Amino acid sequence: MPNIPTLLILIPALPLAAALLTAALGKRLLRGQSHLPTVLGVGLSCLLSLLLVFQVHRGVQQPGQQQTGAQPQIGYEQLTRLWTWAAVDNAYAPAAQSSDSVGPQQSGGRDFQVEMVLRADPLTAVMLATVTFVSLLVVIYSIGYMHGDPGYWRFFSYIALFVFSMTMLVSVSNFVLLYIFWEAVGLCSYLLIGFWFHKPAAAAAGKKAFLVNRIGDCGLALALYLLWTTYGTLNFHDTSVPGILGQSMLGHPELYAGGGVATAICLLLMLGACGKSAQFPLHVWLPDAMEGPTPVSALIHAATMVTAGVYLVARCMPLFVASVDARHVVALIGGLTALTAALIALTQTDLKRILAYSTISQLGYMFLALGMGTLVGTTAGMFHLFTHAFFKALLFLGAGSVMHAMGGVIDIRQFGGLRHRLPATYWTFLFGCLALAGVWPFAGFYSKDAILAELLRGAGDPLVALLLWVALFTVFLTAFYTFRAFFVTFHGREQLPAEAEHHGHRPSSSMIVPLVILAVCSLVVGAYFEWTEGFAQFLAATPSLAYLGGATGAASDEAWSAAARQIVPIWSTLVGLSGIALAAAVYLGPRGRAQWLAAATDRMGLYQLSYRRFFVDEIYQFFVVRPMEALARLSYWIDRAVIDGLVNVFGMLPRLIGATLRPLQNGLVPFYALAMLLGLLALLGTLWM
Amino acid sequence: MDSELALLNDYLIVGALLFGIGMIGFVSRRNMIVMFLAVEMMLQGVSLSLVAWSRFHNDFGGQMLVIFIIAVAAAEAAVGLALVLVLARRSGKLDITVWQQLREANQPPFQDPPLPPEPAQPPAWPKLTPAGLQPEVLPQQTDYRPKV
Repeated sequence: MPNIPTLLILIPALPLAAALLTAALGKRLLRGQSHLPTVLGVGLSCLLSLLLVFQVHRGVQQPGQQQTGAQPQIGYEQLTRLWTWAAVDNAYAPAAQSSDSVGPQQSGGRDFQVEMVLRADPLTAVMLATVTFVSLLVVIYSIGYMHGDPGYWRFFSYIALFVFSMTMLVSVSNFVLLYIFWEAVGLCSYLLIGFWFHKPAAAAAGKKAFLVNRIGDCGLALALYLLWTTYGTLNFHDTSVPGILGQSMLGHPELYAGGGVATAICLLLMLGACGKSAQFPLHVWLPDAMEGPTPVSALIHAATMVTAGVYLVARCMPLFVASVDARHVVALIGGLTALTAALIALTQTDLKRILAYSTISQLGYMFLALGMGTLVGTTAGMFHLFTHAFFKALLFLGAGSVMHAMGGVIDIRQFGGLRHRLPATYWTFLFGCLALAGVWPFAGFYSKDAILAELLRGAGDPLVALLLWVALFTVFLTAFYTFRAFFVTFHGREQLPAEAEHHGHRPSSSMIVPLVILAVCSLVVGAYFEWTEGFAQFLAATPSLAYLGGATGAASDEAWSAAARQIVPIWSTLVGLSGIALAAAVYLGPRGRAQWLAAATDRMGLYQLSYRRFFVDEIYQFFVVRPMEALARLSYWIDRAVIDGLVNVFGMLPRLIGATLRPLQNGLVPFYALAMLLGLLALLGTLWM
Repeated sequence: MDSELALLNDYLIVGALLFGIGMIGFVSRRNMIVMFLAVEMMLQGVSLSLVAWSRFHNDFGGQMLVIFIIAVAAAEAAVGLALVLVLARRSGKLDITVWQQLREANQPPFQDPPLPPEPAQPPAWPKLTPAGLQPEVLPQQTDYRPKV
């Protein structure tokens, strides 16, 4: 069995090789077979990731082997050093007051070093396994979905590049490298949203995603600067200096800076996470990102890339523990996003947009859980991330099948009653919907209940109590909008759009197999890990989370989880089922009921508010885009008139001088003679003086 | 010694006059041969002052230089006159301003200002009473060219 360093290197390297190979050979040599390198690379990478999980799990079970130093190791981590990427000697001169905030041994100048270090710990292992597994299924699905597209090879090259970037993002052990791959996944996202770049909407959506992400990335970059000035290192692990998430820092929590600095760092990190994970108020790019091919929406904009923000916050949890305010902000943003996105999803008519808002809402749940700042909350958030990756990818791929069958139409008003035409899609989509709505025994039930239980535990705090109610209400909304989309699409009178040419294209087997696998996963993963309690325990061995267990006290967890396990499932199931029942009553009943409901809410102004997405886009358009455009126009004018004018004046100067001197060259010998004479006289005159 | 200096002064003055006259002639005249002569004149002015200085310093280097100048001037005269001949043949004129092709592009050529118009009628000269006898001129003796 290969050891951990080999696995860690191979997992990103194989997709990268596939990306390069497809990019180099795809257009001329591979053409219709361009999926082969990517399927092979991502498939092997997936296999190795599962092996890695196994290896790490074994390492966690045998903690004795890892104790090398005098003090016991916190959690389990294994580092693989590859090479030093950048080094600057004596880059850090600590400020006068920072020596007491960061620790005794940190006085004097320090070197800036970025080492290519890959880390294996439970958090990384889980992320790697999720990313590569979903990627593999999506890639297989894409073989059928993207068949015949002129950019077939380009698509698979981008996807492999994305898998490389994402696996690197979750396995690097340095903030600078994390930032680089953070940008790299953003780039892949941009390229894939704008995959059909000849379509103006797709190009605009790509640009929008890129620009909105810039705001978040700006926050992340500032957070990095602040981390550097505060801690004098950007490594997660210990080197000659204690790393930000390294053993020596985790062993001495008092070394973490507190107060305003900690809050500022966390809020800036959260800004970065908001951009990447589409949290309010930076969520506007994700619905537009649905212009990309559906497998991309499933992989990047539902299952993996958008969870990078969650990963970042979970990874930096020790920093968030140091600041209560920042955690409250995280929880508030999460709750607010979960609620607003769910409200918007109620009235959308585009199947993929409904799912996009649902993704935003579910990501809000994860942040809500992380905002609790406890070990249980963090593992619950990560558990939701894990299960969400399966059922949201499933839902998107199902939506993709519908879209494929309907000839590219995705507006749920234009089709209906498809359950006989697309039976496989129907059943798998139903599984996804049940998981999303949190119905027992599907995966979403367990992960959502874990979050709700954690909220209930902290409900002594009025803010958390409020958020608990928000979360419960969102469960109801989630169940309603999910089954609204489901019933409208698959039930009722059969209706096909003109583009489908009155017969649905049957999905090929390469599209159905991933759907079935994902459906099975969304049925079993939650129950399996809940019953074995393996997931939380495994994740708790991550160094930065193991520290939480010590910091927040795990003693009372047992009693709580036992109590919560009885109350929360009953509530959430009741709420979820009532949502489904309402959706069934409205959309399975007589046709008039849906219109009546819409008209009734419209009279209160609520329908338009939801349908127009709380006017967030319009607000941005008015307060950000328009002023920016005006500024751009002004800059353009200044550039053309002032800067270019100045340059033109300097360009004209030699010509003007030339024009004035040109008559001197008149070709007349006596004139030249006279000029020489005068020059001679002038020379003699100056010598005379 | 004073006489020596006076002699040098005289020679230098003559040399400078020669040089100055040649210079003015070269600048002011347009006839190629006259310009050539003016150049020769400048050369002789310089040669003269060289000889004078040589005599003053009792150093024959200057005189030797003058011998060289004369030799070079002879060669130069041969080449210069040949050039003048060719140019005169090609244009039919000795005027140097005919040759101004080396001016800047887009630069208008130099043209002589137009001559003032001929008076319509020959001026009326006052008629004077002939004084004395008009010399007899034989027709075969009058074939001189009046305008040259």
